[in-house]
Parts: sequence; C-alpha cells; structure tokens
Amino acid sequence: MTPKRAGWAGAALAVLAFFVAVPPLMLRSPVFPVLLGLIAIGCGAWAYARGEKRLGGAAIAGAAFGIAGGVASTMSGEANLERVVVWGALFAATLRYATPLLFGALGGLFSERSGVINIALEGMMLVGAFFGAWGADVTGSWLLGIVIAVVAGALFAAIHAIFSVSLRADQIVSGAALNLLAIGITGYLYVDIYGTAGTPDDLPQVPDISLPIESIPFFGDVFGQLNLLVWLGLIMVPLTWLLVFRTPLGLRLRSAGENPLAAETAGLSVVRVRYLAVMTSGALAALGGAFLSIGFVNSFTQNMTAGRGFIALAALIFGRWRPWGALAATLLFGFGSALAQRLPVFSESGAVLFQALPYVLTLIAVTGVVGRSIPPAALGRPLAKS
Amino acid sequence: MSATPDDELPPDATVAAKLSAYLRGGGIITPLITVVVAFLFGGLVVLATGHNPISTYGAIFDGTGLNWLFPWTSSTEREIAALNLQQTLLRTAPLILAGLAVAFAFRCGLFNIGGQGQYIVGSILALWIGVSFENMPAFLHILLAIIGGALAGAVWAGIAGALKAVAGTNEVISTIMLNWIAIWIGVWLFNRGGPLQNTNPQQQDVPVSDDIVEGAKLPVFWGDPILQGLHIGIFIALAAVLVFWVILHRTVLGYEVRAVGYNPDAAAAAGISVARNYIVVMAICGAFAGLAGVIDVLGWQFRIATNDIRINDVGFTAIAVALLGRNTAIGVVFSALLFGALITGTSVRNLDPTIFEPALATNLTLVIQGLVVLLVSTDLLVVYLWRLRRRRLSSRKAVAA
Amino acid sequence: MTEVPALELRRITKRFGTLVANDAVDFELRRGEIHALLGENGAGKSTLMNVLYGLHQPDEGEILLDGKPVEINSPREAIALGIGMVHQHFMLVPVMTVAENLVLGAEPRSGPLLDYKSAAERVRELSRRYGLAVDPDARVEDLGVGSQQRVEILRALFRGAKVLVLDEPTAVLTAQEAQDLFKVLRGLTEQGTSVVFISHKLNEVLDIADRVTVLRRGEKIDTVPTEGATERSLARLMVGRDVLLRVEKPEHRPGEPLLRVEDLSARDDRGLPAVRGVTFEVRAGEIVGLAGVDANGQSELIETIVGLRKPDAGTVTIDGRDVTHLGPRETLAAGISHIAEDRHRRGLVLEFDLAENIGLRFYRNMAKMGWLSPRKLAAKARGLLREFDVRGGDADTRAGSLSGGNQQKVVIARELNADPKVIIAAQPTRGLDVGAIEFVHRRLVEERDAGRGVLLVSLELEEIRSLSDRVLVMYEGEIVAELPPSSSEEDFGMAMTGGKVEVS
Repeated sequence: MTPKRAGWAGAALAVLAFFVAVPPLMLRSPVFPVLLGLIAIGCGAWAYARGEKRLGGAAIAGAAFGIAGGVASTMSGEANLERVVVWGALFAATLRYATPLLFGALGGLFSERSGVINIALEGMMLVGAFFGAWGADVTGSWLLGIVIAVVAGALFAAIHAIFSVSLRADQIVSGAALNLLAIGITGYLYVDIYGTAGTPDDLPQVPDISLPIESIPFFGDVFGQLNLLVWLGLIMVPLTWLLVFRTPLGLRLRSAGENPLAAETAGLSVVRVRYLAVMTSGALAALGGAFLSIGFVNSFTQNMTAGRGFIALAALIFGRWRPWGALAATLLFGFGSALAQRLPVFSESGAVLFQALPYVLTLIAVTGVVGRSIPPAALGRPLAKS
Repeated sequence: MSATPDDELPPDATVAAKLSAYLRGGGIITPLITVVVAFLFGGLVVLATGHNPISTYGAIFDGTGLNWLFPWTSSTEREIAALNLQQTLLRTAPLILAGLAVAFAFRCGLFNIGGQGQYIVGSILALWIGVSFENMPAFLHILLAIIGGALAGAVWAGIAGALKAVAGTNEVISTIMLNWIAIWIGVWLFNRGGPLQNTNPQQQDVPVSDDIVEGAKLPVFWGDPILQGLHIGIFIALAAVLVFWVILHRTVLGYEVRAVGYNPDAAAAAGISVARNYIVVMAICGAFAGLAGVIDVLGWQFRIATNDIRINDVGFTAIAVALLGRNTAIGVVFSALLFGALITGTSVRNLDPTIFEPALATNLTLVIQGLVVLLVSTDLLVVYLWRLRRRRLSSRKAVAA
Repeated sequence: MTEVPALELRRITKRFGTLVANDAVDFELRRGEIHALLGENGAGKSTLMNVLYGLHQPDEGEILLDGKPVEINSPREAIALGIGMVHQHFMLVPVMTVAENLVLGAEPRSGPLLDYKSAAERVRELSRRYGLAVDPDARVEDLGVGSQQRVEILRALFRGAKVLVLDEPTAVLTAQEAQDLFKVLRGLTEQGTSVVFISHKLNEVLDIADRVTVLRRGEKIDTVPTEGATERSLARLMVGRDVLLRVEKPEHRPGEPLLRVEDLSARDDRGLPAVRGVTFEVRAGEIVGLAGVDANGQSELIETIVGLRKPDAGTVTIDGRDVTHLGPRETLAAGISHIAEDRHRRGLVLEFDLAENIGLRFYRNMAKMGWLSPRKLAAKARGLLREFDVRGGDADTRAGSLSGGNQQKVVIARELNADPKVIIAAQPTRGLDVGAIEFVHRRLVEERDAGRGVLLVSLELEEIRSLSDRVLVMYEGEIVAELPPSSSEEDFGMAMTGGKVEVS
C-alpha cells in the first residue's frame, strides 16, 4: 500500500460516503456515510503523513464533504432526494454549467502559456455574451451571432494585448480595468439598444444536438440532448492539447511563456506570439459567453457572467495550465453549480445560500493547490525593451 | 537619469514599486491628465452612440453640486447645489474608506479586489447591531456598530490574508471569491424567510431588513435629515485617512508594510515576517472597507434589501479610486471626490433623462473607471513627461556650459 | 594579402540615457580566428555584442559582414546572417528537452505536428560533427551547466552560425570544462567558424585567443596579438594603471570559533538536496573563503545559516548560541551580518531612501511603542554615510539612484554597524569598479583584524585567494577540501570539480 494508493483510496471512499446515502443506493442510516468517511480520513491522513500532501489533503477534505452530504441526505425526505439526485440529469447539467467555464479556462491557457496573465476572462466572456445575443438578434442567425461574439472577444482582448505586451503595463491592473470596461460597455450598449424591455424573447438560439441514444440508461440522459457548443467545448480539449503540446506553434507558444529571451534569440517574435495568444483567449472566452446568452439562458442581462470568468481562471490554475486538468476542474465546479440549482427542493431560502457553493469550492481548490502548481516561468513579466 | 523610470526597476517589480516610480516621474500632473483623457474617451463613446457629450457632461456636472464651491454661483442655484453637494459627499465618504482599503493593500504589494465583500459584511453587522439593542444610548450604539462592522470586514479580509500567508493563495482570486460568497450570504440573510428579514407582518413578501433604531443613526450636520443631509460619516472617513497616513509613515507596522510592498525578498532578509504582514495588512484593509459599509447603513440607508446587496459597487469603484490616487492618502481623497461627484451627477435623482438616460450614465461611469485604471497601468504619460523633463534639464546644462 | 574580415564593427556608439556604453568602438574579426574582447565589468563588451546580435540598435556606426554593410534589427536577422551568440545567462527553456530547444523557430514538421524524432536525430548528428556530446531527450533543467553551454553552442551552429560570439563562457565552468571548451573552439575555427570570446579573465584570454581587443569605459583602447602579451600588460590596458593583484594584509591570529556549522543539510527550491552534511567553523579574527563554481550549494548554504531556509538536519551555532531553527530576525540578532550576493534583491529596498534602508537593521530598536520617527532614522544614516564615504546622495535619496558601488557601501555600512560577531560576505564586489573593490577588501580585512569572523563566498578565485586565511572548497553541496590560499590554481580547479587534492 503506497501513500499514493492510500490517497486515491481515501478520495474514492470519500465519494462513496456521499454516494451510499443518495439514490440509487439511498441507505438511510447515517452510520454508513460516517463510517466510510472516517476510513477515508484515515487513508488520507496516512497518505498526507507520508508525503502525498495534495492527495491526502484532498481525501480528507472530500471526506468531510462526503460525511456532511451523506448525513444530510439521510436526514432528508426520500422523495426529495429522488427528485434532486437524478444522476443523468445532474451530469447533463454539469456539462452545461461547465461549458462556459471550459471555454474560459482554455482561453486563459493560451494567454498564460504565452506569459501574459489574464484576469479579464470575465470581461471577455461578458463581451461575448452581449455581442452573441446582439449579433444573433441583428442577423437573425445564431451562427453569425457566434461569429460576431468571437470577433468582438478577440478585438476586446487586443486591448489587453496592447497594454500588457506593447506598453508593458501591469497585467493584473490592466485585466481589472478591462473587466470594468466590459461591464460598462456592454451595459451601456444594452441599455441604449434594448432599454428596459430587454433582449427579445425570440432570440435565435444555438441548437442542441439530439443523439439517438435515448434508450441507453444514464448515458442517454447525459449525452442525448446537449447543446452544440457543449460538444464544441469538449472537442476543444484534445484539440488544445494537440496544438499546445505537439505542434511547432505550441512549442513557440510555450517558449514565449517559459523563457521569452530564449524565444527571441531563437528568432521568434515574442510580441507576435503573445498578441495571438491573448486574442485567442478573448475569442474562446467570448465563445463561452455566447453560449451563456444564446445557448443556455437565451437572453442577455447586465453583468450576466456573475464571476464565471474568475472561476474559469481558478479552474485553469487548479488544472495546472493543462487542457485535461482544466476539464476536470471545470467539471467539478460545474457539478457544484448543478447541485446548487436543484437544492431549492429542500429549502427555498437555503437554496440561495447554495448559490455560493461554486465560489466556496473554487476558494478551497485554489488554496489547496497553489503551493505545488507551477505556472509558466515567465508569466506576468513583460519583455524588456532596448 | 535613465531613459524611462522603468529602466531603474527590475522586471518583476511590485505594483507598489511601479506606481511609486510613476509618481516620482509624473507627479500630480499624470493623474490629472489621466482623468482628462478618460473623460475624453468617455465623451467619444457618448458621441458615437448619438448623444451630445458636452451637454451630457454639463448635465452631470450640474448634478454634482460642486458649483456650490464657486463664489460666483447665485444664491438660488446655491440652495440646490448645496443639496447636491451633500449627496456627493455622502457618496465620497464610503469611497474614501473603501479606497484606503485598496490603497493600503497595494502599498504592501497586495491586490485587494475584495473591498466589496468586506463592505457587505461590515454593513450587515452594523445593520444587525443597529436593529438590535433598542435602548442603548446613541453614542454607545453607534460606537458598537462601528467597531462591529470594522471587525467583520477585518475578519473577512483576514481570511484572504491568512490564505496567502499560509498557503500562498493568490489574493486576487480569493478576494473575488469571497466577494461573491458575501453577496450570497447577504442575499440569503435578507431574503424571504431569511434570518434577518424584517419582522413587519405587512412586509413579509419583501426581501428587506428591519430599519435600524433611531438612536443608531449617524447625526446629520449639514442639511435636513429628512432630505438625506450630510452625516458625520465624512469625518470618520477623513479621520481614517489620517490613520492611514500615520500608520504608513510613522509606525513600525507601516515601515514593514512598505518594505514588503517594495521588495519582499529584502524585507525577509532583514527579518520582517512577510506572512504576518499579509494577514495584518488585509485585516486593516478589511476594517477600512467594513467601515465604509457601516457609515452607509447608519448614515443614509438605514436598512438593507437584497437588491441593495446585488447592485452596490462601492468596493469596485474603490479600485479606480486607489489607483488614480496612486495609493496615497491625499490622492485617495481627491479621487474619491471625483468619483463620488460622478455617481451623484449621473444618478436618477439628478440627471435629466431628456439630456441623457441615467441608466446609460451609470454604465458610462463604469467605462470611465475602466479607462482610468487602464491608463494607470502603464507609464505612457509618465514616460512622456519624464522625457520632457530630461530635455529641459539637459538644455539647461548646455546653456550653462 | 589582405583578406576581407569576416566581421567588422565601425565606430559603434550606443547610449542608454546619459550613459555611453560604447563610444565609437572599432572591432575587426578575421575569418577563422579566435578574437577575445577584454575589459572590466561595465566596459561595454556585452553591449557591443548585443548590438551585433540585434538586441540593441546602435546610435551611430555600422556593421559589415564579409565586407558588406548590414542592418541588424533583431536576433532573427542576426541569425539569418550567420551570427550566433552564447550568452552568459543561457537562453534555453529549462522545462523543454535539448531537442526542443535546439529546433525552436526552425522546427521539422510531419503534417501539422512537430516531428520530434527527426529533431532528436539532428541533434545527434550535429553532436557528432562538432564533438559536443549532448543527450537530445534530456530536459535542460536537469543538465549540468557545462552541458547546457554545449547545447547553447549547438543551437547557434544548428542555425548556421559562421560567427560565434561567446559571452563570459567560462564563468560557470570548472578549469577542466574550460579546457574542453577551448578544444571545441579550436576545432570550430579549423572548420571555418570565426569566434569572438568575451572575457575579463586574463589567463584564459592568453590561453585561447589569437588577438585581443581591450575595452575600457566604453572606448576601445587597443587591439594586440596575444603572442608576446602578458597578464600584466593586458591588465594595464584594461585598467589604465599598474594594478595591485594582491591585497596587503597583516598576519592573522584566530581566536574562538564564532560560527559553527555542523553536518548541515538543506534542499533547494526544487526540493533537491543542495547542502549535504556541511561542517566547518569560522573563528574570531580570520577570513574563511568559500570557493566553488556557481550553483554548487553556496547560496543555499548561506540562506540556511541566516535563517532564510529551513535545514533538514544539522546545526548552526553563533558564539555558542544555537540558531539552527530560528528565523532571520533572531539569527541576525544573535550576532551575524549578511552582505547579500544580490544587493538589488536581498540587500536593499531600492524605493526606500538611504535612511530607511539603513534602518532595515535597526528600526526595531529605534521604535518607541510602535512609533517610528523618520528623523531618528535619518540622523543615524547620516553618520554612517559619512563614515563610509557614500557618494551620490544622502539620507533622503532614493537608493535606486545610487551607483552600484555606493549601493554596496550602504549595505556594508548597515551590516557592519550592527556590530556583528560573524560577517557573511557573498559576492561582495560583484559589479563594482576597481576603487570600490579595493574599499570592500580593505574593510573586510579591518573587520577581521578587529576580531570578527568573516565568511567570504565568492566566484572569483583571485579574490578568495588574496583575502582568505584559509579556503574551503564547495562542490555539489559538500565541503570537499580545505586548502591554504597559496595553493595553485590547478589544485583549486581540481577540488572545485570534485577531484582529490594532496595538501602538503
């Protein structure tokens, strides 16, 4: 039994502690979650003490949540549980909630791998949300709406590129400024164009893709009726991995973020690489925002991204600046949101409190991780001029 | 003298070091020019969407009440201007406090975007204290609320500081997450069925709290309390400015804060505990921001509704306030005044919708804020002035030689 | 018969603000020669070559390659023209493999993907051709410094460099590795490459170069053939006067041990062992030199001693007091002073004025109940600034505006005034001009004569040998030898590379 195996065992037991109390098992005695959770904590502590700090800590934290969730479930009504914990629907919702986060995180990956900190993913997402809705409205086509959103996001991101790369501004301050600008500009245009009536009800929507797998249990529920952009997001993960880690372009991107002087002396234009990377991040984040407005909610309201851009950034860090890691993180946060959405069944006013769940999860995730998470070496440092 | 002030800075200089260099290079002129340029761009936005920027800015200015300060204003205009100026200062006071919360963090090399969350928890605790303790004498009641609100803010910000000190968590992300958590806690508290919802049987479907007790309200010293005159919160804010300056420049803590802010490696080598400073600094920042929430609740809001929590943005405006003011005491005061005036001038009460729609104007101020922060992030203007100054110096030398 | 020179720089001038780094410098490189560029720190050698490589644009002057004038606006253009440069600080991406680093910018493809196999093959092929052994699949950060340098050279050759510029290449090499490098260079020149060799080490220049160009304070002084030149003649050209190559110092009489390090072990930032069971002591009234090639654990050792790094095992004792697990604050208070190797990073807060910088050591004692008066700080600073003859400003001047030498004086003033028992001086004369170096050396000897213990850590063997009473050699985290300072350079070189040395 190596510490690593013990850690993973602890994590698995933690999940099990929660799982036994909900459908389909729905064991009613709190003994089960508590017992499983304690064993999980034991495994986790053992792993932690033997050097697997991250895994051990995650197992212990997970066990705490597992016990809490499991015991709470044993105290809830069976009917309620059956309504909330519909795994198929839960996972489908997870994918839907994760998609804007995923686009944002992948966008952030490009920017940060090239060495430019991007905390303006929130603003870029919002720009995409507005211009996606407005574009779809004006052209009557969801496809053109997406195109306009992506172009708007890239152009908006170009401002960040200009200030961060060419003018060597402090990248965090510049990012914060862009977030303010995004809220202001989209809000301004929204009020100016749509006034108090809001976006029209018949806004062209990005279509869902129906797969003929209704009859397959669980997978049919999860994958049978997902939006086009959700699929696009999932496809982007292996594509991003290929591009960044297996092509010359990706090699140059990463060199700009690890040692820009090395890239320069190899004959690359770091400035050009960073511009392209930042604008790509804007385009991707905007795609996530467009999904929000014309793929999910079907309207635009002021500041509708509600901090998702920052959760996306956290997912990126949690995922160690890798596409598959980002996917895992966004699925986790998406699951938190999906769960929070169904909890009003239990308690109306309590449900409001659960809206804070994704942010709490993010906070815990970022705290437990940053110590070991190594960003691109040159992240945040502008290239010195001569 | 180097080619640009940046040449003297190492590439990984902290924000505090950079802004200090810009301050040296550009003096007070740069913030002024920054504001002018931001307003110019704002005017362009107004123009591009088919409105008249000059009359818009004029209408906004009329609403700020700043014309009260001019000796040539007529006495009838003066009456209205007085009312408007009271409003402006009402807005300025919390901005000063929240601005100090951001500035103090910057001086230590920390980016405190969590002012909003700290403001909220401060206002919640102040409200709760103000609603309870009905028979407490006014002075004690207010004092208790102030201490409670400041403590609440300090603890909220201290979480982020502790996370950074112990786990190295990036404070940008942690404070933003704490913002949203605070917002949702606030919405939950005052929502229908929430623990702090009002106890009025006729208002049970309204998500708002009880009103605070009369004795807990901050006394008004200028204007009519019924018309929301100016309360003593402004003095609390100015006192905080003094405390800010004194801590930074006359105490051991301030010395350590500035050292860590400029160069954490040198500070550590000198035996300064960087981690401990992070926690203490964030706590102090949280106290400032919490205090902002306190004076708003006790000064003119008197109650909190879930909607108030959602739309309030004092903590975010404070970022622009601090950066424009270059994280200095005086800078924060004037910067807060500017933005306070903007908010008042563009409010529904004061802005004539036939000239410019207030909802548009609110977003316009956000754009201006964003532009200000964007311009502050680089040294463009500073470099330009730096080169001007060098040219003047060298030409003087050539004349003397 | 006059052949067209491979490279010619005519009247190159480069200014940085009011500082003239290169003043109408002429430089000529013949084909197939090894031409050394010699000068002190700050003489303008690196700047000149950075102009050649397109990293800087010259304000005046022109560059000719094979007799044709060219304009070089970026490293990309320099590479295209056949100029390759190996910098002092390697321009490699640490997390990538040798092959990836080599092909960056000119990657072989198979379809849209990177053809890694042929990249690795290219590396092996070049490796064979030029006699530079490297493993294409190794990650650069795992390689030793000598290997990294080989990769850098290969990188330049991979891009078809006909003119190869090496900037202080032996700064990070041991004596043996330097000899290997020289062999490689001679092989390259036989194949037609022309080499520019930047250095400030007189003996190496005489060893490897055909001709030497000496720069001083941005100006070219002279170009001489190395045949017939001596260390003394070159030194005179470099500095402008007869240079004292040894420091005068009286006999020393060591007393009680003031610093005792026993079996100390610590890890570096990556978690790898950097200090391995180090044991030594510094007695009162002696200067102990710590010699070694860069990155052999010296920095981590110092950090552990002063409390900036947690040790895994062992003890540190200052005048009998165990400070092993104490933080920097308590350790400094126990009687140790630290002149940091990077004064911009650990030594000074550049944005603070001089009074506040000096206050870094004393502010706690000068504060009353948390209150700190700037006037008190300034008064104390003024006295110290006068005593140490710091020029360029006074108590309220920003530290960043002082010259390097004066900045170092401020650091030394502060650290010595704390009345320490032990002084750790790490690279104390890095980046200083000759006058400042003499001052620092004199001061260290004075402190030693006053009964303090000095641990001198330096990469300059000359400095160690001339100042120390005894010398410890550090290699890969261990103290491998103790040698008398009069030992030969060969003996030191052997010890610094882990070889066994017989001490008579």
